[in-house]
Amino acid sequence: MDRREFLRQVALWSAGLSVSVPHFRIGAALAAESQPSLLTSATGKDYQELVDRVLGPLGGMGKFVRRGDKVVVKPNIGWDRNPGQAANTHPLVVRALVERALDAGAGEVLVFDRTCNEERRCYVNSGMEDALAGIKDNRLKFFHPDERKYVPVDIERGKAVSRLEIYRDALEADSYINVPVAKHHGLSRLTLGLKNSMGVLGGNRGAMHHNLGQKLADLATVIRPKLTVIDATRILLNNGPQGGDLGDVRVLDTLVASVDPVAADAYATTLFGLKPEEIESTVAAYGMGLGEMDLTKIRIIKA
Amino acid sequence: MIFHGEAMKNKKRIPAYYWRRASQLVCLALFFFLFIRTDYSGRDEIEYAVNILFRIDPLLALSASVAAGFFIVLMLPAVVTLLLTLILGRFFCGWVCPMGTLLDGCHTMASPQGQGRERKYRFLKFYLLGFLLVGAWFGLPLAGYVDPFSILVRSLALAVDPALNALATTFFTYTYEQAPAWVNGLTEPLYTFLKATILPFNQKYYDLTVLSLVILLVVFLLERLERRFFCRNICPLGALFAVTARFSLLRGRAGTKCGTCRNCRDVCRMGAIDEERNISPLDCNLCLDCIHHCPGNKISFQFGGLHKNRPTFALSRRSFVGSLALGAALPFFLKSRTLARQADPLLIRPPGALSEEEFIGRCVRCGECMKVCIGNGLQPAFLQGGLEGMFSPVLKARTGYCEYNCTLCGQVCPSGAIRKLALEEKQKVKIGNACFDRNRCLPYAKGIPCMVCEEHCPTPDKAIKFREVVVENSRGEKVSVKQPYLVDELCVGCGICETKCPLPGVSAVMVTSAGESRNPAQALPDTGNTGYP
Repeated sequence: MDRREFLRQVALWSAGLSVSVPHFRIGAALAAESQPSLLTSATGKDYQELVDRVLGPLGGMGKFVRRGDKVVVKPNIGWDRNPGQAANTHPLVVRALVERALDAGAGEVLVFDRTCNEERRCYVNSGMEDALAGIKDNRLKFFHPDERKYVPVDIERGKAVSRLEIYRDALEADSYINVPVAKHHGLSRLTLGLKNSMGVLGGNRGAMHHNLGQKLADLATVIRPKLTVIDATRILLNNGPQGGDLGDVRVLDTLVASVDPVAADAYATTLFGLKPEEIESTVAAYGMGLGEMDLTKIRIIKA
Repeated sequence: MIFHGEAMKNKKRIPAYYWRRASQLVCLALFFFLFIRTDYSGRDEIEYAVNILFRIDPLLALSASVAAGFFIVLMLPAVVTLLLTLILGRFFCGWVCPMGTLLDGCHTMASPQGQGRERKYRFLKFYLLGFLLVGAWFGLPLAGYVDPFSILVRSLALAVDPALNALATTFFTYTYEQAPAWVNGLTEPLYTFLKATILPFNQKYYDLTVLSLVILLVVFLLERLERRFFCRNICPLGALFAVTARFSLLRGRAGTKCGTCRNCRDVCRMGAIDEERNISPLDCNLCLDCIHHCPGNKISFQFGGLHKNRPTFALSRRSFVGSLALGAALPFFLKSRTLARQADPLLIRPPGALSEEEFIGRCVRCGECMKVCIGNGLQPAFLQGGLEGMFSPVLKARTGYCEYNCTLCGQVCPSGAIRKLALEEKQKVKIGNACFDRNRCLPYAKGIPCMVCEEHCPTPDKAIKFREVVVENSRGEKVSVKQPYLVDELCVGCGICETKCPLPGVSAVMVTSAGESRNPAQALPDTGNTGYP
């Protein structure tokens, strides 16, 4: 089945015309890539400029967003914490990505997250609302997820989970850009790109925590970002994922970007002094052929 | 249709009752505006809150102050209302009260005979007033049960508003899923508009929804008996206004020598005009309808009627004393309940709540804190807090939790039952303590990793921590799991762990009021942890 067929199923199911749950089986896209994964990392104080720099070697935003595309930029806005506390993606990074996607001619750019704390407080306190309010372009849609728009999806390749409720826009996007913040997490040690995809899930997300690593890999068979930009402008070393103590925050002024979601997570892990194999979701996703975790096989460019 | 006075036809002036109607509509609109805006608005400080309505309510001010033993300054505006009543009489009931306006709005429900010229039940409200105030003094504060604003706001917040949202969601979900695209082209923008204006931000769930609704409906259904039945006979706030209006300066004077004309009596919504066409200031709410309907143009309202016409309340002394005695005696029955010895451990009060006795004395059961609670954690108590605690707020952590960075409940509380706290202060108030049920908690009971509670624990130094241990799971395999435990000194009792616990049904982590900082008697044993620096 191809992507078009899948979207047709989603549409039919959403319209109540079909009772069979849409399911994913995109075989070809998962074939091992012959080229080594390319990853860029850049450091700098000016986050707007940093975004351009980190995307440069990957071919710039134009490589990922074509004219008229429906683009989803998916930051982490899960917590009622301010930008300095490193619990959410830095608003300036998100803003720069949105601006580049608009510049590239996106038909619309959607920004949302299903939050853990109260939705409005998260959007405001994270600084996201202020930062995105500065963009006067009606192609930008920054909104709270709508309960009606979660679609049950069969995860055909899933090992630990067989069905998930996923936000419709995330499934329908032509270009899905994942923008996690790199931080500590009690259960999974770190939360990076794969974990950030949980923000498009509906239903009881707590159940994901049982065998979390494999379930995140299963989810990654369905939510396949064209680009992952990991925000390590400041990272949370302890009391994650929401932190709250500035003593746990370290400022790195760094962004990591890759087309390969597993490679991005693997590399970002090293920023914490950990090894990629210590993160279960990275190992599980690598095991399923979703990307590269061996740092020696990743082409890393310091931009 | 009632006969229009000829005198009115000759006048070009706007009929007096138009002003009253305009005032009612403006006040009602303001009330709904404030009601809708009693919500998080993107700022930590609330900009508008409907609590001003409760702060101008002298019944609640009096009752809460009597219970507190001193005058609650927050409710000072109520004095202004009383002073105005001393001048104008029961204008508040006719010109301002949103409940009265809504009742007037459905007066067509009233049966045509139901003009209620008999004053059979008029005295009830005075007994009720006496009972409430004496009860408040002796420790049975019930004014909030029957105060018109409390009934109205509580019922709107706990029943009508959430139901309205459920209705809208159901309808627009149906159109979204079933209707063709062109219909959605109309309905989706409409839904967006409604969400931005009158609908609440998200669906809230409450206890006592049906009971709250029934109480409001009863007030409205009583209109079947006579117009403004509640206002005439039950409303203890109306009773307080009536007592004050007895001395009011502005008095209505009706005609004499009117023959068989009874237009003014027929039209009076309060049944304030007797057979001799005396207008009783105890009942008259200055709606001014009678002026309009008097064919002889004989009715006027004038200042200076002070010395004459000071009507009696027509109370039975025995009954009145009886109601006072009841108010004084009942509280002592409460003191012999088991609740008096051991409070319900699930009675978790909002952060900033005063000690239980003071809290119950001041709480006016308005439902404001529950309406504004963005975590949907505050619920109306049923009997957990005793008979006198019904509709007071409790945190029910399985349904919702107390948002760590939020201080809204203390900001909207009109009587200071929940103190207004600065954020740093609020984050140090302990409203309860979590504990784990190891028979249910997955890492303990099944050897399955979880830790959702730890993830959500909001204190900067997490109150929920974990130990990594090797256990045998239910398949007999040795597995390494992280098992949560609690540091009492760090836990604030917000309940997010209980809300988010992914187990079906009963949570494996539960918050109780143990250790709440407002009650030293509930102190937990010292574990030697330092807690906050």
